[in-house]
Amino acid sequence: MRFNLVLDVPDVPGQLLEVLEPMGRLGANIVAVIHQRDVKTERGTVPVHITIEGDKEILDKVMDALESKDINILEVDGVIRKEQITTVLVGDIVEEDLQDTVSKLNKLNTVKVADLDLKMSDEPRNSATMMVIEADFGQRKEVLKNIKKLGAQKGFLVINEV
Amino acid sequence: MKIVILGFGAVGQGIARVISMKKDYLKNRYELNPQIVAVCDRSGAAICETGLDEELLLQTKNDTGKIALYPDYGFPDRDSLQVLDEIEYDCLVEVTPTDIDDGEPARTHIMKAMEDGKDVVTSNKGPLALSFQDLADCAIKNNVEFKFEASVGGAMPILNLAHETLAGCSIKSVYGILNGTTNYILSRMANEGSSYEQTLKEAQEMGIAETDPYQDVEGIDAACKIVILANSVLNLPVTLKDVKVEGISKITSESISLAKKEGLLIKLIGEASSDDLEVSPRLVRQGSPFAVEGTLNVATLKTDLADDITVVGKGAGSVETASAILSDIVSIWKMRS
Repeated sequence: MRFNLVLDVPDVPGQLLEVLEPMGRLGANIVAVIHQRDVKTERGTVPVHITIEGDKEILDKVMDALESKDINILEVDGVIRKEQITTVLVGDIVEEDLQDTVSKLNKLNTVKVADLDLKMSDEPRNSATMMVIEADFGQRKEVLKNIKKLGAQKGFLVINEV
Repeated sequence: MKIVILGFGAVGQGIARVISMKKDYLKNRYELNPQIVAVCDRSGAAICETGLDEELLLQTKNDTGKIALYPDYGFPDRDSLQVLDEIEYDCLVEVTPTDIDDGEPARTHIMKAMEDGKDVVTSNKGPLALSFQDLADCAIKNNVEFKFEASVGGAMPILNLAHETLAGCSIKSVYGILNGTTNYILSRMANEGSSYEQTLKEAQEMGIAETDPYQDVEGIDAACKIVILANSVLNLPVTLKDVKVEGISKITSESISLAKKEGLLIKLIGEASSDDLEVSPRLVRQGSPFAVEGTLNVATLKTDLADDITVVGKGAGSVETASAILSDIVSIWKMRS
């Protein structure tokens, strides 16, 4: 059987090899690799399209190996595995410990803060942060609810996507 | 069709104007001959069983501010309930100012007319947001028509669209920008990079925001509309206290500029579904149907068969809102004849 994968790979030397290594080692046939370094995601990573062939068992092992290397699998056979959620928080972000906010979000199941932008104001409580959060597909509602809850605890105004 | 108008502010005057403008059209197209037999405002009433002159009503209100000074047929001491008792009429148009604390006097007016067997059209959000089910039950019990298209989104057709045009679809949720004032303020803040306070002041000077902007900017007005949509379109027996409300007064220019960097805009969005009733600032994509500017309203119905249906229109304005009331009057007329 065949798997079409879209992987999310950091744009640094050696990364493509890192991704291909378990495929070769575990005996999966690589049918095609599309790697265009000038096409980037919002976070500056490179989406790599790979088609592999082999027994179901081998392909499952490859997926496990990729996951254990923390390689981000965006799509499998056209099915989106990760989705991005953007949120804006308004309030005294520094006083309320930005690092703690991020680490609390990261602790949520399958959630990872992928990008963060800050805009400070002369009036601290007017400051804002925008986060791009990645979560497993289908988790959106749950994640949004958790962001609201966290925002309420810290006194932030939470502005979620529609 | 004999019509009584209670309340003669911007919307009430708009109705007199559209009836005057559309007389021939309504006669030719629907054989409808709307006669305004009574109008009440705070000053009293103008009453004439054979029909008041629309232009003279507008002129009287414009010149004196008091409808009771209508030549020959003005009655300074007559109140609305007396008028409903004394006059022969078919349809009440209730357009007194919205009160969100007890819904009065509109609630009493509407109940009385329905108990007297009269059809009712209203733009008044107060009684609908506070006691929708009582009013709907009362209409059924008395076998009268009760329509309120103008109460949500002004001229933008949404309730009748859901009930009539999309009759075969189940509607799963509704969300939209339902308040023109806040949309104006947020659009200006995004375009000019100005602060909330400064932009609100400017909107007040232009007459777009009220002197007391509380109900608009804190999301109460949008929440009333969400309650009406939830009851009317989704059949959820909810009231204003069931809606989680967050307004726009905490939105800063910093947050707007961050969002803009990612191609996003901040809008005040109301959402109604079986597991969520909420008004809050949300992020929408630039270039999406929700990226409307100025005082425009927009709403999306999520349906089972037709997928998403989105409408955009003017959420306020005298003649614009009156257009929605007139469409309710016409549909009652069609049903009755």
